[in-house]
Amino acid sequence: MPELLRFQDVNTHYGDLHVLKDVNYTIGQGEIVSLLGGNACGKSTTMKTIMGVVRPTTGSVIFDGVAIETMSTAERVKRGIAPVLEARRLFPRMTVYENLEMGAYTRKRGPDFNQDLERVYSLFPRVKERLNQVSGTLSGGEQQMVAIGRALMARPRLICMDEPSMGLSPLFVEQVFEIIQEINRQGMTIFMVEQNANMALSIAHRAYVLQTGKVVLSGSAAELRRDPSIREAYLGELQVT
Amino acid sequence: MTFSDLLLQQTINGLSLGAMYALLALGFTLVYGILELINFAHFNVFMVGSFIGMWTLQLMGINGQAVVMTGLPLIGVMLVALFVTMLLSGGLGVVIERLSLRPLRNVKGPAAMITTIGVSYILFNIILLTVGADSKNYPNPLPPIQWALGDAVLRLREVLIWVISVLLMLGLHVFVQRSKMGKAMRATAQDPEAARMMGVEVDRVIIIAFFLGSALAGAGGLIFGLYYNFTSFIIGFTAGLRAFTAAVLGGIGNVPGAMLGGVIIGLVESMGGQFIATEWTDVIIFSILVLVLVFRPSGLMGRVAPNKS
Amino acid sequence: MAAMTDLFTRVPLARRQQILTLLVAVAAIAFPLIHDNDADVDSAANAAAYATLALGLNIVVGFAGLLDLGYAAFFAIGAYAYGILTSFQVMPHWGPFWQPFAWLELVQRVPNPGGDLVHFTVSFWIMLPVSALIAAGFGVLFGAPTLRLRGDYLAIVTLGFGEIVPIVVRNVDSVTNGAAGLNGVQAPRLLGHSFGIAAWPYYYVAIALVALLMFVSVRLRDSRIGRAWMAIREDETAAAAMGVDRTRTKLLAFAIGAAFAGATGTFYVAKLQTATPEMFGFPVSVMILVMVVFGGMGSVWGVVLGAVFLQLLQSWFLEDISGWIHDLGNLIHQPWMLRIDLTESIELIFGLILVFMMLYRRDGLIPATRKQSALSFEQQHAEVRRGGFTALAGLGEFAREGHTGLEVKGVTVRYGGLVALNAVDLTVPAGGVVAVIGPNGSGKSTLFNVITGLTENDGGVIRFDGKDLLGLPPHQILREGVARTFQNIRLFTNLSVLDNVLIGQHARLKTGPIAAVFRPPGTRREEVAARVWATEILGLFGNRLLPRATQTVGHLSYANRRRVEIARALASRPKILLLDEPTAGMNPAETMELAEQIKSLHALGLTILLIEHKLDVVTRLADKVVVLDHGEKIAEGTPDEVRKNEAVLEAYLGRGTLAKGTVDA
Repeated sequence: MPELLRFQDVNTHYGDLHVLKDVNYTIGQGEIVSLLGGNACGKSTTMKTIMGVVRPTTGSVIFDGVAIETMSTAERVKRGIAPVLEARRLFPRMTVYENLEMGAYTRKRGPDFNQDLERVYSLFPRVKERLNQVSGTLSGGEQQMVAIGRALMARPRLICMDEPSMGLSPLFVEQVFEIIQEINRQGMTIFMVEQNANMALSIAHRAYVLQTGKVVLSGSAAELRRDPSIREAYLGELQVT
Repeated sequence: MTFSDLLLQQTINGLSLGAMYALLALGFTLVYGILELINFAHFNVFMVGSFIGMWTLQLMGINGQAVVMTGLPLIGVMLVALFVTMLLSGGLGVVIERLSLRPLRNVKGPAAMITTIGVSYILFNIILLTVGADSKNYPNPLPPIQWALGDAVLRLREVLIWVISVLLMLGLHVFVQRSKMGKAMRATAQDPEAARMMGVEVDRVIIIAFFLGSALAGAGGLIFGLYYNFTSFIIGFTAGLRAFTAAVLGGIGNVPGAMLGGVIIGLVESMGGQFIATEWTDVIIFSILVLVLVFRPSGLMGRVAPNKS
Repeated sequence: MAAMTDLFTRVPLARRQQILTLLVAVAAIAFPLIHDNDADVDSAANAAAYATLALGLNIVVGFAGLLDLGYAAFFAIGAYAYGILTSFQVMPHWGPFWQPFAWLELVQRVPNPGGDLVHFTVSFWIMLPVSALIAAGFGVLFGAPTLRLRGDYLAIVTLGFGEIVPIVVRNVDSVTNGAAGLNGVQAPRLLGHSFGIAAWPYYYVAIALVALLMFVSVRLRDSRIGRAWMAIREDETAAAAMGVDRTRTKLLAFAIGAAFAGATGTFYVAKLQTATPEMFGFPVSVMILVMVVFGGMGSVWGVVLGAVFLQLLQSWFLEDISGWIHDLGNLIHQPWMLRIDLTESIELIFGLILVFMMLYRRDGLIPATRKQSALSFEQQHAEVRRGGFTALAGLGEFAREGHTGLEVKGVTVRYGGLVALNAVDLTVPAGGVVAVIGPNGSGKSTLFNVITGLTENDGGVIRFDGKDLLGLPPHQILREGVARTFQNIRLFTNLSVLDNVLIGQHARLKTGPIAAVFRPPGTRREEVAARVWATEILGLFGNRLLPRATQTVGHLSYANRRRVEIARALASRPKILLLDEPTAGMNPAETMELAEQIKSLHALGLTILLIEHKLDVVTRLADKVVVLDHGEKIAEGTPDEVRKNEAVLEAYLGRGTLAKGTVDA
């Protein structure tokens, strides 16, 4: 499987705080890779480092064979990385349609824009019904659909999702995960931060476990689910037996 | 003059002042909406804009009120003056943002606001030291056409001010609502980080907000000169504070709100001057500012002011 | 106690400062004697007057972080208070009412053909404090409605007040003589001699005023009051949660700042013997702000230096420099240089100073806080004590005073259309440890916010120790013995570890502004006890925090910040401690260390409510676990019971077979 994204010995700091410590990830084309870990362990910083909101102090972020760590966020979006942000983060006083337009911000408006809209509508028929509604008035589930749709409007090659299940009802969490799998089957690579570990491992191909800024475990999802040491590192905190 | 004519006259005056304040208020609102920054430099961008307008008109050979034009030449001259004034004022806003505010983008606390006070002072004193402290007779090629409405008088210059202001505000509204950059601007105001993640170049959005706001302030400065037939280095402060009050009254960060607030403040000034006393106008307007901030900080049309916590 | 003495034995620096202070004082006193030039002494007296203004504004802007752009209004109020009460401007008719005042020499009877009149002759020395009080009163008046506003709005409102006051002064000319100004204001008298027009008596009054106000500033800064101001400057919400009454604290800063300006106004008018509205406009407010910014916001010596330098620059140096430029222009035949007059461009210079200081040196000439170097290995390991809990007996006593615990009943919170908490019930018995778990976004932190008064609720009851907490402001809830930490750590980043912990004690200390200045023995004892207590609390974490007590919190590691936040909460002597993910971002070893420490706190009698994701921590600590999901309580029970609960498994681990697959594995 050809590699799409790679972190190479990445270190990230916020002022004096050392957040990511010599982190390495590899994400292959067409994979769903999940990043697990407790709060404040560096998951969101990983997302911000990919998107260019935070720059690594040392190390390299390679996307599709090109080092992108010094590029602007806009440049990265143009190259094909789109985010689904934590807690959705739609533009609350803009309509659903305008939010989708914002997703396609870096693209020239052409016929493929409408194709992509149709694709979003087919994935989320509810979104089409709400096009002219101000997005702040949508339910959490509907907002998540728009957020994923908004990411798809960028025609990305990699979607980075930050806690797609957060704050959603269990029923809807399952739907979201099904949609993620569906998008993936259509060829999309997905890198997903998720605290809902079992759900994440059930759809991911591979996963990394992060603890205080370090990768402490990695492997295929199936392996990780069986690995007893994952209990100590992450699931251990949620140990149920 | 009968009471109703007096009222009509003061409404005419108030709407003209209001149009000017609204143009100025829009600049506060655009910048505040995105940066949550009260831009004190804006006060004197307006003042400098007024001088730019004066110089542009003078370069076109118009001095004082001696040259009177009509028809197409008048429209041409006005359009050129407006265009040049807005372009240069907008450019001034861009320079201010680029040099003095961008380096402070991520600094918390009052640093950015203090910087804008400093910039405002610099502009004020550059004009004072180069142009001088006396007020300047403003070139005005408008013919002295006026219409009597009872005892009230409607002058051509007032109609012109309204037309210019309404067109500019409509243009801005359409730009913000419809254009790609306008949408990026709204998105940035609502959630800068998310906007950035969509590929919006936030720095560019901010530059454009400063350009538009300052260009409108420049237009306001030109209108000031045409309305009062003079300009001076001191006009920025009072007009700026009134316009800021207008922005707060309408709901700071809210574009239609700034227009509404501007008109209300203009009417308060003209009516207050007529029916109360001119020397208390500022006290009345500041009282409005304080009352609005204390009792309805979101303004008449505004969203709730975002909480910086 | 070794660490205690360690904290207090930083003498060398203090000694150096004392010597420097002495030298400056001697130079200031000697100046008019050595330099016998009335105009220069007069300039120096003005410079000193501006230094007092800068000191006052520094309390508002530098200490409390409230940007006041209309500070000159209080200067004007003090000036006109004295001016009106010592000039012939206001002269009511004489009547018996005035007789007692005449005996006190506050007024004189002036013979007048149409009936005798009253001439106010209140002494300068009485008016100095009285004007300060009047200005402080106006400070409260202006501040009360506006101090709730966000910082930037406050700036514009104060600017408004700063404009209104001179306008009012100009418009009510029967009292103030309007734009023409007050004339014939009395010069101060001392021991029967009028100050007259010589500069040196004013100079000495001015430097005495500077010395006094510097002393007051330093005393306030280093007290409970000063710490509260800085806490508000750093993080208002956290300050409120730690027991600081925001409105009162801000008003106090406003009032004291105004008082400084009021006294200065009286001095200034006595010196000029006239007052006009133009002397107190916006440019004056900005000039004082420039002085504060230039010298260093929050730095007492800095703002005095800034004020003196800028004032003397105007009156002494600019003319000289202009002269030099003209000479140079003559020399190199550049006629344009002859037209330069820097004295006219002082405001331009002010503008440039503001911009350049903000861009390149935001801390000013003399920064209020010094940069500290990281600890050396030796320093870090000098203190080997671990977890000295026995010394915390005081905490235990306080906690064991006996209370009926925390009771949350049917609490609902809505944000817009979103229900963050839906009719949640929860009880924490006295002396118990209850953990709240649930996925991110399930309402756990909202629950903490509503208990501690940071979020408004839409129904329900919260009672602690029989007392209703709902509707109380955060600082009063802390007073009731409810202290908390924050999930995203809200420390006062630019303050030291020790100061953070001292602010935690704010509600338990009594020192008011007057005691802070005079430091009576009781206040001294309280402050020493507060420091001892802070040190004891820091000692809880062994060598993690004690050696770093004087370090700025912003330089600490993540885990140490979490520890400081817990220490700060403990310092308030709580009965119940609310910990929001105390171990987030900690590695397993640190997590276990902290869990043990929390356990020890519990053993001392503290009641604990805990949000935690790490179930092993929960199991180790909690008697009872409450599970939230989507703002609703979906389960409650012992850790064992909760782990077996289907609903919990679904909420936490995902539904159905997916979850079971892992559980069985």
